[in-house]
Amino acid sequence: MILEIENLEAGYGRLRILQGVRLEVGAESVGLFGPNGAGKTTLINTILGINRPWKGSVRFDGREIGGLPTHEIARAGIALVPQERELFPGMSVADNLKLGAAYIPHAASIADRQLEMVLELFPILKERYAQLAGTMSGGQQRMVAIGRALMANPRLLILDEPSLGLQPSIVAEVFDRLAELKKSVSILVTEQNVRESLRAIDRGYVLENGAVAIEDSAEGLRTNPHVVKSYLGI
Amino acid sequence: MNRNIARAVAAVVAAVAVALPAFAGAYPLQVARNVMMYMALAITWDMLLRSGQISFGIAGLFGLGAYAAILGVVRGGMPVWLSIPFAAVVAAAAAFLLGFLILRLRAMYFSIVTLALAEMFRIVIHNLHDFTGGPEGIVMPAGVIFGGNAAALYWLTLAGLAVALAASWWFEKSRIRFALTAIGNNEISASSSGVNIFRWLLVAFTVTSGIQGLLGGIYVQSYGFATPDGVFSADFTLLPLAMALLGGMHGTVGPVLGAVLLGLVSEWLKLKIPYGHLIVYGIIIIIVILFMPAGILGLARKMSRGAEGGKS
Repeated sequence: MILEIENLEAGYGRLRILQGVRLEVGAESVGLFGPNGAGKTTLINTILGINRPWKGSVRFDGREIGGLPTHEIARAGIALVPQERELFPGMSVADNLKLGAAYIPHAASIADRQLEMVLELFPILKERYAQLAGTMSGGQQRMVAIGRALMANPRLLILDEPSLGLQPSIVAEVFDRLAELKKSVSILVTEQNVRESLRAIDRGYVLENGAVAIEDSAEGLRTNPHVVKSYLGI
Repeated sequence: MNRNIARAVAAVVAAVAVALPAFAGAYPLQVARNVMMYMALAITWDMLLRSGQISFGIAGLFGLGAYAAILGVVRGGMPVWLSIPFAAVVAAAAAFLLGFLILRLRAMYFSIVTLALAEMFRIVIHNLHDFTGGPEGIVMPAGVIFGGNAAALYWLTLAGLAVALAASWWFEKSRIRFALTAIGNNEISASSSGVNIFRWLLVAFTVTSGIQGLLGGIYVQSYGFATPDGVFSADFTLLPLAMALLGGMHGTVGPVLGAVLLGLVSEWLKLKIPYGHLIVYGIIIIIVILFMPAGILGLARKMSRGAEGGKS
């Protein structure tokens, strides 16, 4: 297992959001679902050290990372595609991508190779290479954000609501790319759009009220009556 | 093409700047020194601004450097030439240590504390009467550096400006630009890209403060005396800020442009309305913020984009 979370509690001020979460990610693509306020973003922020864990453990590659500063967690090999305002709008696409590798020691040395891979994955970024990132469409910006995270040559790629605010055709494209990526990198992705994301994941967790309510394979989730009723809306 | 023109212009400007004493008299050289001093301060202020931190502490570090230089000679028996780099080291060291406290603050809180720092330095020097000379100030017994030779003083200030330009260029061309821009844009994205935010802010604050101290050292040795109200004057904070605002922030060219324009205008205004020039300064700042928040450079970019759009 590359990421092992046990009995994790965290929150804001005196409000406890995560009530003992247990979650694992191996060499696979894992979905994290649940209603607004269930604690998905809090969980991701806690993995990345943006929030401090109150209790429990977060182990990455066998090493405890709970409580480390965010930049050290990033250097350990976890890359984030945040939910919004993920880019550096005043920088060009090229610089946004290069920044992804510049401060990660094990990525800086192979940045050229990673860049080639990212531009192959998202050809539109090659066309818009010199454009200011802030002037691109929402979907293109999301691709830059994913590309930037990949430039860090991560072992675990975390995406927080990658389909948020995108038109359906772009959403499908983003998940196609994720399905491709899971061959080379472990993925943890939160989503409101459960139906689309089931295509790109192997397993998933449903988080409700700060705890894991359901854990199953993609296929199991697709047929789970609670998931169907609450998240697939059939 | 465009880049080559820019390089050629820069080379010509640099050559003229170096050769100016050959064909300019004492008064134009004095004006040029003033403009270059404020220009260098404007550049250092902008360098830190690129990380999103607005400092109002320029005068504090400038004054600290000025007093370090003059006290180094008068009390410490230091050679005059050495006192100028010494000023840079003292200001940089002070910024480095204070940085551990104040770089945890952001936005308005950071700005207010830097403003308070400048005042704090001034009050300390004001009151250490026996060591610093107190409110009456302190005089270099040997007088002005280089015996007051106008050309030499000009070149000394030009060297200070060159240091600021080189540092700014380094900030723009090296990896540090990524870090500072990322921090200014979004700290969470920056740190989750592996940027150690505190470390790079500390680097930027220490380097820019060191240069502000260096300029203070050059200034004080160019006049041969220092008073707390003189070297900690709010002018050293407000004028560079106005210049960067007018020219355009987040780069080297904007502050340079703003300093030339505002520096020359203020010199002219000083002759026309003595003591009233600061009012005009205030009005310029208000107009710039209201109508061209990206400065002259931003306006020029906007207009050239508009022209290109019109053609296609």
